[in-house]
Amino acid sequence: MMNLSALVHSLRCSLLRIESRLLQISGLDSQLAPALAVNGPSLLPQIEQDPQQDEEHDPEQTPGLLDSILWMAAPKKRRTIEVNRTRRRAERKLIKVKTNIEPCPECGHLKQKHILCGFCYAKICKETGLIRQQIKQMEGGPLRAPPVETVILYEGETPSEQDGGKRIVERPRKRPAWFRN
Amino acid sequence: MAVAMSGLGVAFIRNIVGSLHLRLQVLGGASQQLSCLHTSISLDAKHWERNNRKVYPPQLPEEPRRPAEVYHSRRQIKYSKDKMWYLAKMVRGMSIDEAIAQLEFNDKKGAKIMREVLLEAQEMAVKNHNVEYKSNLYVAESFSGKGQYLKRIRYHGRGMFGIMDKVYCHYFVKLVEGVPPKPEERTGFDQAKEYVQGLKNRTIIHSL
Repeated sequence: MMNLSALVHSLRCSLLRIESRLLQISGLDSQLAPALAVNGPSLLPQIEQDPQQDEEHDPEQTPGLLDSILWMAAPKKRRTIEVNRTRRRAERKLIKVKTNIEPCPECGHLKQKHILCGFCYAKICKETGLIRQQIKQMEGGPLRAPPVETVILYEGETPSEQDGGKRIVERPRKRPAWFRN
Repeated sequence: MAVAMSGLGVAFIRNIVGSLHLRLQVLGGASQQLSCLHTSISLDAKHWERNNRKVYPPQLPEEPRRPAEVYHSRRQIKYSKDKMWYLAKMVRGMSIDEAIAQLEFNDKKGAKIMREVLLEAQEMAVKNHNVEYKSNLYVAESFSGKGQYLKRIRYHGRGMFGIMDKVYCHYFVKLVEGVPPKPEERTGFDQAKEYVQGLKNRTIIHSL
């Protein structure tokens, strides 16, 4: 921790020294106070325009930079912690308590009124996954789905008359209560 | 290197003093007298959990029943303490079931962690702190604190850099047995009445 901060501090000092040296060299060192924060027209445009319009822009070089500093918005005073707290803890920023939570009648876990119960949905997803695995095994490759409907039968079930021309997927378990024909 | 060594040394001393604590508690009677035995190194890292070890003298038959208290915390959660504060503020004063329900359906990262902490605390209460019904608890205190941050370098343009903080936070909760107390509702009229009363009570001190 301490080595990192010392390294960072030395890096910062060296960079500041390099910056001030560069400013002195380029002749734009007009005692700018927040040297790292100035975001006005950079050194490069100045160097480009110099050979073209030297006499016209010479008196305007430093006023140009000063104008840009005056134009940039900056906070005037530090915001106190009291002001900050009143803004951060205002009523509209607090988390609102939800009133639409109720227990699921099937499993008893909590659910929101307009959303499916998470537990029941996960249970159905699991079974659907197993059915899909079985279908994948039956088909044996991609793009081999037959152009017929599918019917899923559990243990001890026979296809009825309506399931005549349909493909049958057998699952070796008891029919779950939530999956009615 | 020196920092790492001193860190190991601190951990070693902490382990020794921790075991000393436990042994002295088992031997001694009232642990309150012996809990002041600590070195000058900051061993307050687990101060909140030490509250669980507080033992009261047996109550007299005519005293009102003291409700059970459970203190629990989780340290160094990879989340911001300011963001955690909003969740802690929401949960304050709720019954434990309501708090767990609200946190389950909140989308924030800290909500999942906070829900785990509350469930752990509820289990601890039933197992170790003689709480009869696990629903008969409410959140008396809940707040977040700053953890130990890691510092990284964030690279800006033009060779500039900043120091980035990888934020961590702690979360503390105190569950108390019983029905949650109803928050006192003060209308604007009551507040105005109190203000006017305060003005009326002004007087000149040390007068004749």
